[in-house]
Amino acid sequence: MANLVIENVKKRYGQNEILKGINISIETGEFLILVGPSGCGKSTLMNSIAGLEEVSDGRIMIDGQDVTFASPKDRDIAMVFQSYALYPNMTVAENISFGLEMRKVPKEEREKEVSRVADMLQIGHLLKRKPAQLSGGQRQRVAMGRALARRPKMYLFDEPLSNLDAKLRVEMRTEIKKLHQKLGTTIVYVTHDQIEAMTLADRIAVMKDGEVQQLGTPQEIYDDPANLFVAGFMGSPAMNFIPAQVVEQNGVCALSLKTQSNVVLPFPKPDALSGHLGQTVLLGLRPEMITEPQPHKEGLEFVVKADIEVEVTEPMGADTMIVTRIENAEVNCRSNPAYSAQPGDTIAMMFDTSKAVVFDCETEERLDK
Amino acid sequence: MSNIAKRQTSTLDKVLRVALYVTLLAMAFVYLAPFIVMLLTSLKDVEEIRTGTLLSLPASLDFYAWGKAWSGACTGGTCEGIAPYFLNSFQIVIPAVLISTIVGALNGYVISHWKFRGSNFFFAALLLGCFIPFQVILLPMAKTLGWLGVANTTSGLVFVHVVYGVAFTTLFFRNFYQAVPAELVKAARLDGAGFFTIFYRIILPISTPIIVVTIIWQFTQIWNDFLFGVAFSGFDTQPVTVALNNLVNTSFGGKEYNVDMAAAIIAALPTLLVYVLAGKYFVRGLTAGAVKG
Amino acid sequence: MTTKSANSGSGMTQSRRPARLSLADWMPKLVMAPTVITTIVCIYGYMIWTAVLSFTNSRMLPTYKFVGTAQYERLFENDRWLVALSNLGVFGGLFILICLFLGVMLAIFLDQKIRAEGAIRTIYLYPMAISFIVTGTAWKWLLNPTNGIEKMMIEFGFEDFKFNWLSDPDMVVYCLVIAAVWQASGFVMALFLAGLRGVDGEMIKAAQLDGAGIFTTYRRIILPSLKPVFFSALVILSHIAIKSFDLVASLTNGGPGYSSDLPANFMYTHAFNRSQMGLGSASAMVMLGCVLAILIPYLYSELRGERHE
Ligand SMILES: Nc1ncnc2c1ncn2[C@@H]1O[C@H](COP(=O)(O)OP(=O)(O)O)[C@@H](O)[C@H]1O
Ligand SMILES: [Mg+2]
Repeated sequence: MANLVIENVKKRYGQNEILKGINISIETGEFLILVGPSGCGKSTLMNSIAGLEEVSDGRIMIDGQDVTFASPKDRDIAMVFQSYALYPNMTVAENISFGLEMRKVPKEEREKEVSRVADMLQIGHLLKRKPAQLSGGQRQRVAMGRALARRPKMYLFDEPLSNLDAKLRVEMRTEIKKLHQKLGTTIVYVTHDQIEAMTLADRIAVMKDGEVQQLGTPQEIYDDPANLFVAGFMGSPAMNFIPAQVVEQNGVCALSLKTQSNVVLPFPKPDALSGHLGQTVLLGLRPEMITEPQPHKEGLEFVVKADIEVEVTEPMGADTMIVTRIENAEVNCRSNPAYSAQPGDTIAMMFDTSKAVVFDCETEERLDK
Repeated sequence: MSNIAKRQTSTLDKVLRVALYVTLLAMAFVYLAPFIVMLLTSLKDVEEIRTGTLLSLPASLDFYAWGKAWSGACTGGTCEGIAPYFLNSFQIVIPAVLISTIVGALNGYVISHWKFRGSNFFFAALLLGCFIPFQVILLPMAKTLGWLGVANTTSGLVFVHVVYGVAFTTLFFRNFYQAVPAELVKAARLDGAGFFTIFYRIILPISTPIIVVTIIWQFTQIWNDFLFGVAFSGFDTQPVTVALNNLVNTSFGGKEYNVDMAAAIIAALPTLLVYVLAGKYFVRGLTAGAVKG
Repeated sequence: MTTKSANSGSGMTQSRRPARLSLADWMPKLVMAPTVITTIVCIYGYMIWTAVLSFTNSRMLPTYKFVGTAQYERLFENDRWLVALSNLGVFGGLFILICLFLGVMLAIFLDQKIRAEGAIRTIYLYPMAISFIVTGTAWKWLLNPTNGIEKMMIEFGFEDFKFNWLSDPDMVVYCLVIAAVWQASGFVMALFLAGLRGVDGEMIKAAQLDGAGIFTTYRRIILPSLKPVFFSALVILSHIAIKSFDLVASLTNGGPGYSSDLPANFMYTHAFNRSQMGLGSASAMVMLGCVLAILIPYLYSELRGERHE
């Protein structure tokens, strides 16, 4: 178990700067999730932490020790890869014990460790098989077993569940969460899956183009995104961005936009808008904040009703997404399936701006921080 | 029901199909004929050769020519048949194949999984080396072998074959290892394994197909070599190809075509055997060396 | 002191790479070192060495008296070299064309769900496994002006059949073509067959759904997609042609006279048998030039292709 400090880490391949000064520090036992579009440098960062790639600049510390130039085997880190990377010529048992063998652990102890790990992951019956004889889910478990066997200081998971089908992915997600709670080890975990990120993480780091855009708890990232990119990246369907004009209403700043009629939406932090009176800003409103009229919210401070024209409806089971167009931006609204509407209908919806955020149209930064 | 109509092949189709088989079999005969002629000729005596034609059958199986080719025919200076040279070839081929395969495997492993600055550039330079006409290196190499004191020796020939074979073996292994996921090596490094341990415990066990391909390729190339053999071997270290050429071109008394043919078959036998036994790998070597050359 | 304050003061910390690396870090380079050295010395070094020799008047032993391009001038005034070059043109051109034609044809024929395809393929390809010396020896007998094919055809009843190319200075180069085609065409077949098997089956189905017949499918869809195979085959065949040495040595030994010499044989004869090191080197450099002229565009396109992957 260990803490990890990444200071101003840069990585260049030739002229290409892939990591542009990453700063992250992780407490012992913390579960950090890295998300970001593909190609943004997540795997490169993981490889740098593991020592598989040498960084071009900056410093990496584990438990207060500078390991920037330590070799991978001296860092005591285990990694689980998306492709699992099981040794194809070895049995499951040999795969799991290979790391121990390399560390000169005596044979009996290795065997004990293999059976401990196998019990934990319920792969005891697979120990004599070769990786080629396993299903995807079983391979994934073996890959985890290989990481667990060494009891390393820290685990790195690089999209470990991406190759599994949806159902298995949910199962394994729960299992990883349980493992983390049980072992309490430090974990850095890369994923593409929004839900995986929200459910597993103590903190999430959102990356783009080799830079950390925001580092915070899942709720912070979701409710309080640092910029347009983070707001748009986390959440599915994504946050709506609606161009709106800053106007004055009853002496405070509010946002005016045109649906089927003109609507003026109050804003929780009107002072943040005062510098932009008359300008157009981007209003960020999550789909669940635009709903069918709900009686219990009627009359609340930041709730306004307005008519919209339905473009498309997308039933999703628990909810139905109603897609409309406001100020030429596509807007998703989450409504009760019972609130039926046909494309072309004009219906009333309830806009709740209590958690709304605004962004500058040009810089894409938050205006109401 | 409707596919009954479809299934009926027209007469034209049938005729075409027959023509196809006839062409293919005729071509097969053309490819086989030289070998058949060699075999028939080697089993005839000189008189039969003089009176008969290429494809006429020998009256009786006469292995005189084979015996003479093996141990009595004159190759340039001596008249000991090609047996000693056949053994010379093995003495050259075995170490040269083994060394070039091992070096190629390690090079391929480095180039695919332990890249360093310049390793890709070096690979390109090596690749170009596969293609140079060896005439460009003959004279300097002859000089170098002289300096090293291995001119006209088996070790000298082994050295030459290794140096110029490594370009191909490296290419084969590199292309194969390129398809081995980098994560495999990364996982092993995190497990604490080093350069050679990873090679020996993880990479080598999955390399059997490419090892077979490479060994067969190298064996065929080096066994069939003539240029290096004629340029760098001494009287008693000649490989069998050089001896065969000498035997055929030695005009000592009457020309014995049956002996020539027997000697040629003997010289071709090892590679033919390999081809028959492991043709699949042979073809793979050819196309691997070719398509990605 | 300054470094220390810079480190802690600005907060921009930078670890120093340890000056001495462990053996493990050197291992990959160490393993590659012998090959790197032999490549630099025995390929590129020797190439330069030969180039240097070609500008000297070295005969039996290398001398370093530079004579400018005199050897090249001598070379291109040498009738034997000019014959060798023109032979290479005829031999190379015919050899490549016939091999490609036969190879493509046989590959397409074999791709028609032929029974015993494996056996037939094996027969077409086996000549590639044997030495050019053996090939030369065999064809020398087959093409023997009195006892070979000629006699066989006369026995078959073609009384006036004449086939004495091997002893005819004008025709002997075609004997080289015949033997070389016999040896290498099966290889081209194997290349194209592998290529045909790699063609996307869905693409062919789509073409057939579009109403294309079998000939159209081959001509318009399949063969154009085999352009890379075609390209590789071309490069390899030209390479074989330019390097051809053993076949001439065993089939014709350059004769009659020097009418069937190829550049490789010219080089060998002059450099090793006639003590004309300078002239031999010059001819080797011309051969290298020919190979590079073919190779560089090829490698260029290959490497560009790889970058796209
Ligand atoms: N060895 C390498 N050489 C050059 N560029 C590389 C190398 N490895 C990765 N890259 C580049 O670095 C970028 C980040 O890659 P990666 O870290 O794998 O992204 P991801 O966030 O999808 O895991 C990509 O644009 C990739 O092309
Ligand atoms: Mg990645």
